[in-house]
Amino acid sequence: MFERFTEKARTVVVLAQQDARQRGDSAIDTGHVLRALFAVPDNLAIMVLEGFSVRQADVEADLAARPETAPDGSAADADALAALGIDLDEVRRRVEEAFGPGALDRPRSPKRRWIGGHIPFAKEAKKALELSLREALRMRHNYIGTEHMLLGMVHGEGIAHDVLVARGVQLDVARVIVEELLRGRRAG
Amino acid sequence: MSEATDVAAAASSRDPAVGLAAVAALRRLAESLEELQVANARAQGWSWQQIADSLAVSRQAVHKKYRRIVS
Repeated sequence: MFERFTEKARTVVVLAQQDARQRGDSAIDTGHVLRALFAVPDNLAIMVLEGFSVRQADVEADLAARPETAPDGSAADADALAALGIDLDEVRRRVEEAFGPGALDRPRSPKRRWIGGHIPFAKEAKKALELSLREALRMRHNYIGTEHMLLGMVHGEGIAHDVLVARGVQLDVARVIVEELLRGRRAG
Repeated sequence: MSEATDVAAAASSRDPAVGLAAVAALRRLAESLEELQVANARAQGWSWQQIADSLAVSRQAVHKKYRRIVS
């Protein structure tokens, strides 16, 4: 599938991965992809969102207001361990006292090879990318651009879908905007 | 964790979702700690056999699990 991605679409995927890594998240979710869409200048996805008056600052604020959604995020683990009377923050504090900051956060086992390396896509993000392919095929396009990625996220589930729909983005309308934009512009 | 969280968790402790999530989180925590401690032990010159004895597992098991990430 990735071989069909345009250069900008590939950049979005790379930036989403960087964003996930910088935030210490264990998977790339649709929120990372949505943020990354805005980080690539002059792309069709941003133009489509402008059609809905959705701006980068709004999306950033909406995403920041959402609770942590990582499947095995430490916030979820902290709550789960609290049920056993274990204070994860306290465990982390003591470990860091002995081994230095981040000692507990840097597991180096092969099972967690995304630390510093490849970070896997979360289920919703993978699905959204698959749907972007479907959106491209639907429009008889032989490439996947940022516009298809956006449609895939609106079509699919996950944090990006929730944020965009709450901002009034509708799939049908977005498709029409994409087709109108493409009449006057090359794919992005 | 806040007291409110503890109380809420205790109140629903027969909920399998809470209990199983706690076990999974505990396992992840144990894995992280084990890795940290194995690396520390190796750095301090412990043999794989000594580490295995302390962890109550076989030398082969601990070596196989950590040889790629701990020298």
